[in-house]
Amino acid sequence: MKTSRRDLIAGTGALLAASTLAAPALLGQARPRVVVVGGGPGGATAAKYLARDSQNAISVTLVEENETYQTCFHSNLYIGGFKRYDEIVHRYDRLASAYGIALVRSRATQIDRDRKEVVLTDGGRLPYDRLVLSPGIDLNYDSVPGWSQAAEELMPHGWKPGRQTQLIREKLDAVPDGGTIVMIAPPNPYRCPPGPYERASMFAHVLKRTGRDKARIIILDPKDSFSKQGLFMPDWERRYGAMIEWLGPKVHDGITSVDPKTGTVVTGFETYENCAFVNVIPAQMAGAIARDAGLAPAGGYCTIDPATMKSVVDPTIVVLGDACHAGDMPKSAFSANSQAKVAAMILRGELVGAQTFPARYLNTCWSLIDTDDAIKVGGRYEPRDGRISAVETFISQPGESAETRKQTQAENMAWYDAICADMFT
Amino acid sequence: MRVALLCVTVLLIHATPLRAAGDIGLGQYLAAECVSCHQPSGPRDADIPPIVGWPEDQFVAVLSAFGRKQRDGQVMQAVAARLSREEMAALAAYFGALTPQP
Ligand SMILES: Cc1cc2nc3c(=O)[nH]c(=O)nc-3n(C[C@H](O)[C@H](O)[C@H](O)COP(=O)(O)OP(=O)(O)OC[C@H]3O[C@@H](n4cnc5c(N)ncnc54)[C@H](O)[C@@H]3O)c2cc1C
Ligand code: HEC
Repeated sequence: MKTSRRDLIAGTGALLAASTLAAPALLGQARPRVVVVGGGPGGATAAKYLARDSQNAISVTLVEENETYQTCFHSNLYIGGFKRYDEIVHRYDRLASAYGIALVRSRATQIDRDRKEVVLTDGGRLPYDRLVLSPGIDLNYDSVPGWSQAAEELMPHGWKPGRQTQLIREKLDAVPDGGTIVMIAPPNPYRCPPGPYERASMFAHVLKRTGRDKARIIILDPKDSFSKQGLFMPDWERRYGAMIEWLGPKVHDGITSVDPKTGTVVTGFETYENCAFVNVIPAQMAGAIARDAGLAPAGGYCTIDPATMKSVVDPTIVVLGDACHAGDMPKSAFSANSQAKVAAMILRGELVGAQTFPARYLNTCWSLIDTDDAIKVGGRYEPRDGRISAVETFISQPGESAETRKQTQAENMAWYDAICADMFT
Repeated sequence: MRVALLCVTVLLIHATPLRAAGDIGLGQYLAAECVSCHQPSGPRDADIPPIVGWPEDQFVAVLSAFGRKQRDGQVMQAVAARLSREEMAALAAYFGALTPQP
């Protein structure tokens, strides 16, 4: 499979020549090739920073199966009525037109690590000198008894973007006053630790706003505690009274089974029948392309070198975002974007001799609880003792002023616009 | 303007070992972290304000105030806490050289 754009870019002129001359091509060829699989926060950011900061001295190809990127981040704000759907949809055009990235709209089906080639659905092959994988997560459909991929319309997860996000909103809109929503929360480690609890907040917000005060939301959690619990729970109580009920494993005693046809959820403690809506958020693992390449030998997620984001199995492959084990960093769009910048810097160093610097990472996760009431948690991270370790952390305080919570939400909105611009424009 | 500036940066990186304070190559790497939140354009009173085109000494003063937790802001305190003086100067040089966009 030939990428025609590569030829277009070859004419960037004297400047390009100067920089390639000054930086001996380490691999003994004119333009080292990086293939990026996955156009989410990890992949799109890596592709942009590699192409832009190398002045196109590196040939960058981005393989993405979807035409647009629909963000999971702020999908809860869509569900809560704080954003329109079109506000969470982004295009890839600018990455091609502004930075000369070759876009390949296809699914990568296999990584041929011996030949250093990415195999596409049509059998085409993309050779690489370095590969960046940021495929996100796959869902473990076997993790909740009775649930399956065939049941994801009846009991949606909404943990991958697009139709699933819209299904959650449709099911929520159809809940009658007095109806029961059951959310089955995922076990660690999973994409967006505060995400299920932000979503439950948005459910309550919509139900309350539309006069369905007697509906209730039951969260069945396999975990004993959850992200920002000490902030979510008092605010749920204060804003939504008894509407949201959180049950840990010691109380519900395990999920025995679900029946998608009848809307039933059976736990060791109780049976919930005729649920208006069941949101199953299952266990998760790295996207198939990374697991099938043997980069997650223990199953689950890919282990990386904390200083470079390179796979410990194959140093020609970088694994970013949700698909990797990033030590203390949560699986978030912010984390993936931050990791991608470190990886791009390291790869430019290797491929075109650019200056390199010590890795440093950053993350913040904001969660909206109600109108003008958001909380945040975040930190700075560095490689330490063989893992990405938190060196500085912060979290919103219980009982903060309404003004602070409002400001936090304003930050959240501004962050979304900035990070999407950083990734896609 | 911005693109032109980055081009100059590339030549500089290859021409000289950059160790001086106000180092633009270092600034460019560190700045990548800031633009996850700060856009290059926008009104001065935006919820996350643009930070381009500042005088360098003022920029360093603001960052060190965050770093010493003398100025409020949980996020910026965490951002600035582990920045050395040299890194702050590099950031100030990088963002200072960019022109505010309307
Ligand atoms: C409800 C919810 C709320 C969230 N809120 C936040 C938030 O507020 N802040 C935050 O920072 N994060 C949030 N997140 C987390 C965030 O969405 C993820 O952490 C982030 O998307 C991870 O980026 P990624 O690049 O690793 O993977 P993804 O975003 O999943 O991107 C992977 C891309 O790769 C493509 N792909 C996968 N396999 C292949 C293949 N074989 N061939 C071709 N293409 C492929 C996919 O189509 C996809 O576009 C939230 C998540 C959820 C579910
Ligand atoms: C996670 C989001 C985030 C990141 C990343 C971030 N900032 Fe900020 N920054 C903010 C917010 C929010 C404010 C407003 C804080 C306030 O005034 O209380 C701010 C304020 C500032 C200000 C003061 C602006 C003014 O007009 O007074 C400067 C300077 C600044 N940041 C520099 C930086 C630099 C340099 C970086 C990167 C090293 C950075 N920021 C990274 C969120 C961020």
